[in-house]
Amino acid sequence: MSLSSAEATPSADAALSLQFDESDADLLARAFRSPGDGPQAWRLNGEAHRMSLVDGFDRLLAWPSLRGVGRYPHQERTCVRVLREMHGRAILADEVGLGKTVEAGLILKEYAIRGLVRRALILTPASLTGQWREEMESKFDLGFAVLRSVRDWEHRPLLIASIDKAKRGPHRAAAQQRPWDLVIVDEAHRLKNRLSVNWRFVASLSKKYMLLLTATPVQNDLDELFNLVSLLKPGALHTYDRFVERYVGSADGRVPAHVPELRDRLRDVMVRHRRGIAFTLPPRRVHSLPVRLSPAERRLYDDVTDFVRDAYWSASGRMSWAARLTLIVLQREIGSSTFAVATTLGRLAQSPLFGAAERDRLGALQRDAAAITSNVKAIHLLGFLRSSDEKALVFTQYLRTLQYLQGVLERDGYRVVVYHGSLPPAAKDAAVRAFREDRQIFLSTEAGGEGRNLQFARTVVNYDLPWNPLRIEQRIGRVHRLGQDREVHVVNLWAQDTVEAYLMELLDRKIHMFELVVGELDLILGTLDERRSFEDMMMEIWTLRQAEERRAALRRLGDALVRARDEYDVMRERNEEVLREVSEEVPA
Amino acid sequence: MSEAAALRRFVLDTLVDVGAAVSEADSLVWVQVPEKVRSDLEVPATFAITFDPDRIGNFEAELVAPGSYFLERIVSLAARRGRWDVARFEARAGDWVGESLSECGLGPETGVHFETLEIEETALPLLSFRVTLISDEKREHFHFIAVCPAAGSAWEVDPAMADSGLIAAPDAGVPPDLETAYRLGTEKLRERSRDAVGRFRAASLQLLEEEVRRIFGYFDRTTEEIQAADPNGSQDLLRAIRGERDRRLTETLERFDPKARASLCAIRAIRTPMARVRLRFLSGAPIEGTLDAWSRHLNGLSCEVCHGTEGPWKPQGSGRIRCVRCAPTQVESARPRGRPRSDTPRRRRQDGRGSGRSPRGSRARFRAASGRRRGP
Repeated sequence: MSLSSAEATPSADAALSLQFDESDADLLARAFRSPGDGPQAWRLNGEAHRMSLVDGFDRLLAWPSLRGVGRYPHQERTCVRVLREMHGRAILADEVGLGKTVEAGLILKEYAIRGLVRRALILTPASLTGQWREEMESKFDLGFAVLRSVRDWEHRPLLIASIDKAKRGPHRAAAQQRPWDLVIVDEAHRLKNRLSVNWRFVASLSKKYMLLLTATPVQNDLDELFNLVSLLKPGALHTYDRFVERYVGSADGRVPAHVPELRDRLRDVMVRHRRGIAFTLPPRRVHSLPVRLSPAERRLYDDVTDFVRDAYWSASGRMSWAARLTLIVLQREIGSSTFAVATTLGRLAQSPLFGAAERDRLGALQRDAAAITSNVKAIHLLGFLRSSDEKALVFTQYLRTLQYLQGVLERDGYRVVVYHGSLPPAAKDAAVRAFREDRQIFLSTEAGGEGRNLQFARTVVNYDLPWNPLRIEQRIGRVHRLGQDREVHVVNLWAQDTVEAYLMELLDRKIHMFELVVGELDLILGTLDERRSFEDMMMEIWTLRQAEERRAALRRLGDALVRARDEYDVMRERNEEVLREVSEEVPA
Repeated sequence: MSEAAALRRFVLDTLVDVGAAVSEADSLVWVQVPEKVRSDLEVPATFAITFDPDRIGNFEAELVAPGSYFLERIVSLAARRGRWDVARFEARAGDWVGESLSECGLGPETGVHFETLEIEETALPLLSFRVTLISDEKREHFHFIAVCPAAGSAWEVDPAMADSGLIAAPDAGVPPDLETAYRLGTEKLRERSRDAVGRFRAASLQLLEEEVRRIFGYFDRTTEEIQAADPNGSQDLLRAIRGERDRRLTETLERFDPKARASLCAIRAIRTPMARVRLRFLSGAPIEGTLDAWSRHLNGLSCEVCHGTEGPWKPQGSGRIRCVRCAPTQVESARPRGRPRSDTPRRRRQDGRGSGRSPRGSRARFRAASGRRRGP
């Protein structure tokens, strides 16, 4: 059955009259039957209502409640335009690093405050689900859950899902079953093809408002732009045939025609800001400090690695998911310090996850680790710190390493402040204040000052390297962000012939990750395997038994990363070429 | 008072009113709440709040600001409490009836004489309503409507008046006739909101029409193009396109369909002296009405043009009466018939007084009316 135009529009004659709430009868029945709460409570009742009145989108309400979010006029303008002029359906296409996530969060919060959004879905690449959850929680106080089971579609009003997971099997039907007030799609260039499962899945969702986030809406040709716009507002760029005839000026579909007219039409549905001079971050200078482990450390590293490889490829097939995860942790800890791995080895030596022979090996490894009283990497760290008088953020992934380093640094006369996830909020605040005032070293675990302004420092030391490159970028982002006006120094300490050396090979030498603008790495990694995380890929390579196999696998991954980086560079230029005319520069 | 100061006062007053002990130190407010409201506020027995975003997390202090979760909870708590109350208004000594009539535009200089037939205390229900207009955006208004069930009339009251000059009267006795009060109050609210609701509906429907036109245009032309390119093409494809079109239309209807809702927030019974008066004009029959000392609203008159029952009033001779909005100004009265109105904005008089027109708002009109009478 089809709708006609008349059916689709409510009758113009039908007057709209006030509908009174059914609960009014309840108040009328109860009022004055018992003593009231007093005149002050009556006054406050009126104030509560008046204070929470919503008057359209005349002004933004969310700013005062946001945490650790710089207030930039271009983000405010975007939010106002999307709310007032675009009616909540927009492509947010700012260049990387200009804060599309903040803009989306701000728009969501404005709707949520007004009670217009209660159910919201964020679709992202799998690698970014955790990052989105953290940002929504820490900056916007919005408690999103990451999709785990099919029941979450019904029970979680604020949900983050990997688009690849959501579009499949029972998830697809469950997602389509209930209407969403707002759907946000991150890295929306994945919806470039209207025949793809991704595009059709997003189109099939019932939603009131929708935000598509991408820094590169055009990856190959203008068709992709048409497909994105059609998701939001079919007809905004005419029909496909008319669009091609009117706005595509070359056979390869890459040159726009009738640009002023196209720009006007795109302005109804897309916001794109270019980075002006004021928003260009100062450069990063990368210092790579390779370390040769002491003989005892080397022996321990190799022995732990052998244990991990043996257990990982155990022929018995009884390796549980928990045990595999434990092995990954073990391998990461030995890359951090002997102190970090010692505790875990001791615990695993008692663990039922492993057989008797394995537990014996673990016990012996624990004794070897405990016998090592200093790490060569720490000596290199001191060497670097002595070369500069500047304040420095030193990051490690593990608390045991942090405690060891605190002792080393304090014995050497440094004024150190520590920051980790177990500190109560007041102590965290005090730590940041102390670092701002008179401490030289901010020694931190991964929880290192999420959302806090630490731009007064400009040196980041990666004492160990997380296998997830986005974590490394988050560390650097603590100081290399809007507001930083000096060159930023990134120091990477890594031991030769370790997983960390592989990481440096891939991230530094292959794709020059440390020179990328914040946000670009997401786009590069996003084109790799969607189902496996970067950490999983690293582990699979590292646990290959033959050195030659490992080198070949590393080369393949490196080549894939280089291709992804090249593709990204081409894409960025293409977007600049096509969309220059519809972009606005962010002024100072 | 600034918005921030008003917010702070509201939050602290609410906490104190529910029995919390509040103390302030170094940008933090320490709060000890009684057991009965802990679950409403989702807080422990003692906790800290702050109004300064830079102090969030100090002693785990929760931020209180527009959009913060704590404010949402405290607003919700305050809105669930204080839903009925009784207050008393005591008239000032002196001729409040005469003063009130003058404020209504019926002072002795207009030739209107009055006679007070009776004064007795009456309970006037004051109803507060929240009006919510919603489509893809939301607009809300708050109204205080006073009702005199005996006179069958209701009128809007300035929010500043709803709590001024009143004293608590918890044992004031018999509740007013709430059913009638509610009926009259909702009728008045409908009347007062009609224009705003109409404008909102028109704006929503305009957006809806644009969207519907665009969707039909897009899908129908796409179908035509497909048929033109391949007249014997797949019917399944065309059906799928029509299905997609209908789904988009349904989505659009849900998005822009305007709704107007109102809810009764609270009721206050205001015990006030009420006078029954007889008004005598220069000519014509006398009119009886009632006048309360608190709102000084005169019931019993009706404008001969708009039939409105809210003043201020302007006697027209021969016992006819109009509200000031419908009464012709002196210039209009003097203008020969058939001559078009001037578009020139009215100039203020040299003595600083405005033209004969009253400013908007009932309270302002009262002030203007009484000001004119007191003038030289």
